[in-house]
Amino acid sequence: MEAKPVLIVDDEKNIRLTLSQALEALDLETDTAVNGEEALVRLAKKSFGLVLLDLKMPGMDGMEVLRRLRQTRPDIKVIIITAHGTIDSAVEAMKLGAVDFIQKPFAPKEIRELVTKVLNRDEIAADKARHYDEHVELAKKHINRREFDVAQEHVRQALAVDSTKPEAFNLLGALIEIRGDRLEALKQYRAALALDPSYEPAAQNVQRLVVRQQEGGQISFGKKQRPGEERR
Amino acid sequence: MASNLFIVIVGCGRLGAYLANRLSRAGHGIVVVDYRMEAFDNLSSDYSGFRVEGDAAELAVLKQAKVDKADLLIATTRDDNINLMVAQAAKAEFGVPRVLARVFEPRREDVYRRLGVETVCPTSVAAELFLKSVCQENES
Repeated sequence: MEAKPVLIVDDEKNIRLTLSQALEALDLETDTAVNGEEALVRLAKKSFGLVLLDLKMPGMDGMEVLRRLRQTRPDIKVIIITAHGTIDSAVEAMKLGAVDFIQKPFAPKEIRELVTKVLNRDEIAADKARHYDEHVELAKKHINRREFDVAQEHVRQALAVDSTKPEAFNLLGALIEIRGDRLEALKQYRAALALDPSYEPAAQNVQRLVVRQQEGGQISFGKKQRPGEERR
Repeated sequence: MASNLFIVIVGCGRLGAYLANRLSRAGHGIVVVDYRMEAFDNLSSDYSGFRVEGDAAELAVLKQAKVDKADLLIATTRDDNINLMVAQAAKAEFGVPRVLARVFEPRREDVYRRLGVETVCPTSVAAELFLKSVCQENES
């Protein structure tokens, strides 16, 4: 594993603490930033290998950091931190090469597994890939590099090996959506859901596309009203 | 791994919050679940874990709290039936290695034990302490 430091960007102290503690066990050097502006300052000063990035922050949000990061340092890997049920910008993030998400709350083991996977992704050789997981990882590697056509080829190969898992269908949907074909994308998301109705990323993608079509461009979920809130 | 556990605590009343604060301070990863947002006010300012607002009787809420990744679950609500249901789900549905539950009714402890759930009964604990205190006074 490469030993480049990891930057943790989150406005919540407990998240920064949890993440840095979890990564200590991997012997990774970590640094933290409390908002987008600070993150950009840190990124300019030090050469990071990976950024754990919260999307919702006061001031400059995570998506803006991602956009700017892509202009200056397209090689840095990014894992997006999201709250439950708010991955409504997953495809937008993917256009910017970020395909890995971790949803709050997270278990330390879960963080370590994802970080290890993302950092080791470059070492998988395309000509030796045989298993479903390897093809999915290769697809993600090419999404990281924003080589979407190559990524789609690997997703198709993953599906050829095993067409019973939802993740590859969901990835295929996202790649098709990036190209602009929403209807075809929706079909793939629905295929993922048919295989596993509890697969949340696909459920959210379907909801987002359907809601967007019905409301004419308004993406409204993520700010759901809590039960009882209307009475207050 | 024993030094750094991932623990889900159901119920953030006085007991749940106390445990969450202490275990968080000890360096464990904590998620507390409660359906009342106000309950999280019981957590101390240095609590560094997560809060999940929702009804723990729903599997989706337990899933959201990542019970499937937990090393330990502690059910501390005021309702024995909820505690039993959550404990059962944690054991059978999510395969949590260790499950602890608060039980008010001592007679129910047996049901929990059969499910492989460890219990703490405040009534029995308090009764034992009272008895000990009474006996000591009598002896002296």
